[in-house]
This record gives sequence, structure tokens and C-alpha cells, in this order.
Amino acid sequence: MDILQLLMQGFAVALTPENIMYAMIGAFLGTLIGCLPGLGPANGIAILMPLCFSLGLGADSALIMLTSVYAGTMYGGRISSILLNIPGDEPAMMTCLDGYPMARKGKAAEALALSAIASFIGSFLAVIGLIIMAPLLARFALHFGPAEYFALFILAFATLGGITGKNPMKTVLATALGLMLSTIGVDMNTGVERFTYGNLHLYEGIDFIVIIVGLFAVSELFIFIESHAREGQAMIKVEKLKLTARDILNVLPTSLRGSLLGFIAGVLPGAGASLGSFISYTLEKKMLGKKGCFGEGDPRGVAAPEAGNNAAANGALVPMLTLGVPGSGTTAVLLAMLVTLNIQPGPMMFQQNADVVWGVIAALLFGNILLLFMNIPMIGVFVKILSVPSRYLMPMVTMVAVVGIYSISNSTTELYMMIGFGVLGYVLRKLDIPLVPIVLGTLLGPTMEVNLRNAMILSGGDVGILWNSGITITIWSVAVIGLLAPVVIGPLLRRKMKAAHEVVE
Amino acid sequence: MINDRVLGLVGLILAVFYGLGAQEFQPAFGGGGAIGPSAFPTLLAVLLAISSIYLMVKPDPDESWPPLKTLGELAIILGVLIGFVLILEWVGFILSAGLAVSLLAWRMSAKPKPAAMVGFSSSVFMFALFTYGLDLALPGGTLWGMN
Repeated sequence: MDILQLLMQGFAVALTPENIMYAMIGAFLGTLIGCLPGLGPANGIAILMPLCFSLGLGADSALIMLTSVYAGTMYGGRISSILLNIPGDEPAMMTCLDGYPMARKGKAAEALALSAIASFIGSFLAVIGLIIMAPLLARFALHFGPAEYFALFILAFATLGGITGKNPMKTVLATALGLMLSTIGVDMNTGVERFTYGNLHLYEGIDFIVIIVGLFAVSELFIFIESHAREGQAMIKVEKLKLTARDILNVLPTSLRGSLLGFIAGVLPGAGASLGSFISYTLEKKMLGKKGCFGEGDPRGVAAPEAGNNAAANGALVPMLTLGVPGSGTTAVLLAMLVTLNIQPGPMMFQQNADVVWGVIAALLFGNILLLFMNIPMIGVFVKILSVPSRYLMPMVTMVAVVGIYSISNSTTELYMMIGFGVLGYVLRKLDIPLVPIVLGTLLGPTMEVNLRNAMILSGGDVGILWNSGITITIWSVAVIGLLAPVVIGPLLRRKMKAAHEVVE
Repeated sequence: MINDRVLGLVGLILAVFYGLGAQEFQPAFGGGGAIGPSAFPTLLAVLLAISSIYLMVKPDPDESWPPLKTLGELAIILGVLIGFVLILEWVGFILSAGLAVSLLAWRMSAKPKPAAMVGFSSSVFMFALFTYGLDLALPGGTLWGMN
């Protein structure tokens, strides 16, 4: 009953007229960003975050708006998958498989509507899972000391490459680079300047918003120029929607199964939304293989991955909110947002900032209902925007990112840094170095160092404290498995996902 | 092969300089407990050095770099971005962003006329939206006597 009461308080925060407005703006912008090919959820939040801060929104409003953006991008990804056969973001890749063939059969409207419903079911159930699991996990995590946290951070980095990642050593290299960036500036514990070289701009360290926008959004511009491939794609016309209750009932069991699998994939470290949609699609195909026409436009093939990736996206919030350890690039950016608002995620947050946490959870529930309505009757708006060629949209999005960065610093130095990180991001992407560990490193570096220090103080300088308790040993073993699993399972999974995608093309 | 080897070499050089630099930090008031300000950076330098050496010894197969012509295109884009920041505070947001969006769209194979139209109308729209709608101060341009 306690939880219900807290949730009611959350709704009281989320449902003020002002916050409803921010949730609507966020959901709309999120869907928009999600459906633009190339701009994933992490990009979207990174670009909008500085704007949110410079508008001077309160912690709850900013959080509600940005979580709505997050939820929105997950809905948006499917639109370009279905209409253009280009996934708006990586998790939406599996939606192409049946979404595009379905649209080619003249059922684009049905595919969009059914996938919106599946997305809704996935998100909604996952948020309920979050409500049940998060407080339990938070209570358990209260027993964690600095040594456990240090190990947990290592776990986050080790599993970040994900099961689909390629070379784990490159994840290690990226992590080291990111953590190094975080040491620039005045050391908070001792007041010593580190790697500032007397430059005043570096005293407070490099703002990670600059790093995120540079690495993701600006480098995307370069990649776009290089590929040029996304032009001239014919978009499928959306006919009038003809949907019966039977059609919805037909995909309901699939959506429920997809949600469950997706949620589990989301909560586990290192799996994330891409894996969530992959697993739910493949399993559904295995189960119904003979009775369906998967790959040729089966509605259930649209529902399964959408329920899966939305459930996973919300499931990924569980470790982020309760432990302060994000499992994916997008949740890392959300964590950045919390830290910037002076809220340190972790078990203490559920006690100290209970109103914010439950406000966000309530906003997620409400935002999903909003998104469902936005994505069925208003789908035409997004389809129109998607028909504007990327060659105009990309430069404009870049400018919005620039405005955001300029507005937090009011100086051009940060803009030069952003461009520099853009070039760096492009080069690293060409070298197959993952960018997410870099971002996460700059973000978690200071906390990680503090935990290491505190652990050392507790033990009087004995390094053994880092692996002396049962919990730490467990965490370390999972970390090692997480780092090595990609070498074994990775190539197999990647080949399967790719093969599945190529069938359609 | 060669990509990862060069990356490894650059990483190793960075690790050495970063690591050496970290040894010079002296805590002002007797240190922060068991670990001073240089311990964590030293750890990172070692981590970077190990992964760099590994990449030099066991490099992955190369991704292909774009042809020279595309690299030239990328250099132009970079030039446009830097040029935009250079003149931003001088001529103001409307002119510089309009120019930047037009040039970028043009290099992404839009025709010059629609590119310029989209570029400048979007910059005017953005300026109006952010300055009047959202109360964010964007540079008006010192050239015209505005801040």
C-alpha cells in the first residue's frame, strides 16, 4: 500500500498543468527525434538537455520533460522502420522485418497503429515492473558500501560493450579515455588542479553535455555526409486506418510475451533495448513460425519487437534509478541529467528525493498514455515531417544542438570543444571504438574515484577490501563474464541479427 | 590492421604522458587519506597502456576510410562549423546560422536556392523562438552594436 501512496504523490507532482504541458512537448519532440534516421534516443536527450537547463525548469519539470522525450524516442523509432525500411534507431531494426513488408501491402496505417499499441503495452507493463522492483532493489542496495559501489561501476563498464559488442579491449580503451577526461579539472577531495595547464576554462572540468553532443550529434553529421546513402528513399503512402478489435486481440498475446522478455533484457546489465527487441522477435517467430507469415508482413512480427524494445527501455531504468549504474548509452545520458540537477541516483534517492522519483514514474505512466494517443490519431504529423529530406533536417538539428551548448556557457570556447569532440567521435567510430563508455566514463569518473578513496580509508589502505565481501565477489565475477561473453556469443548473435535484416532488403 | 596499430601507438603515448603528468600532483594539506590525487589517474594510465599495447599486438581488420574526395567534403563541413563559431558573436546568430545551415544543406546535395531559403528562414525562426519564446539570449552580433 505504501507504494500506491507514493505513486499517488507522484501523480500529484506530474499532473500539474505545467508539467502536463512539458510532458506533451517532450513526448512530441521525442517521437520526432526518434523517427529521424540516425538520431537515436541518446542524441535526442543530449541535444534537448542543455535547453531544458537554460530554461531554468525545476528538477521535476526538467525530469518529466526529458523522460517523456526518452519514452517518445522509443515510439518514434518504429515510424521510419515501417515507412522507409530504415530504423530510426538501433532497437527499431527488428521492426523493419515485418513492418516494411506490411506497409508495402498497403497496410502502413495498420502497422503503425498496431506497433503503437504494442509499444504502449510494453512500456506500460515495464513501468509497473519498475514500480514493483525498484524499491526492493533500492532497499537491498542500502547495504552497499564504497567497495561494492566501486565494483558495481566496473560491472557497468564491463557489460557496456553489450553482448553484441565486438572487441572487449576496445571497450576497455574507451572506458580509460572517458575516465581520463573526467579527471581534468580541480580534484574535489584535495583541491589539486589536474591536467588544466593553467587554462581557466578547464578548472571545473569539461562539461559532459559538450562531450555528449560532440561525440554523438556532431559526429553523426560527418557520418551522414560520408554515407549519403539515405537519400531518395521512396516513402510509402499511409492509407486510411482500418483497424478492428480483432486485429488488436490478435497481437495481444504476442505483445504480452514480448513485454516480459524485453523487461528482463532491460533490467540485466549490458543487454538493453536492441537485445530486447531481438529476443522477443526471434522467440515469437519460433513459437508461431508455422502459423504466421513472419518476414512477409505479419502483424505479430511488428508487435513483438516493439513491445520488446519499449519494455527493455523502461526496464533499463531499474538499475539506473536504484543503483545509479546505467546499462546503456541512453540511460547514461539520463543519469547525466539527474547529476546535473544535483540528484545522485542510487538507493538514497528513493528516500531523499522520493517526490522526484515517483514524479518521474508517474510521468512515465502518463506519458505513455499520451504517446498512444499522439501516435494513432496524430501519426500524420510525424509522417509529414519525415518526408522533409534529411539534408535540411540534419543541419537544423545541429544548430539546435549548438544553441543548447551556447546557452549553458555563453562562450564560444565550449562550441570549439564540441566541434573537436565531433571530429574525435567520427575518428573513433571509424576505428570501431564504442562511444558510450567514453561518455559514461566522464560521467561516473568522479563518483568512482570518491568510492575508491572511501573504500581505502575504511580499510586503512588495504586494496583487498575491493573483493573481500560476498557481494563484491559476485559483482566482479559478473563483470568478468560480461566482458568476455561478447567474444563467445557476440559474433553469433550479430550474424543472426544481420542475416534477419538482410532478408528484407 | 594499420588503423588499430596507429591507435594503439597514439594511446600508448597518451598513457605515458598522462601517467607522468599524474605523478606531479601534490596534495596541499597532507593528502586525502590513503589515496592522493595521483593514484586514480595512474591507474587509468596503466589501463590505457595495457589496452593500447593489446591493440598493437592483436589489431582488428580495418574498416575502410572514405576516399580522398569524401575526406575533402568532410574538411569543408568542418570548415563551415568552425567558420560559423568564428563569426557567431561578431555578425550574430541569424546571419551566421543561416549561412551555416545553407552551406551544410548545399554540401548535402540540396540545390543552392532552396538551401539558402531553408537556411535563413530556419535561422530567423530559431532566433525568434529562442529569444522571444524561450528567453534565451543568442548573440545579436557586435557588428550591429548588439550583444
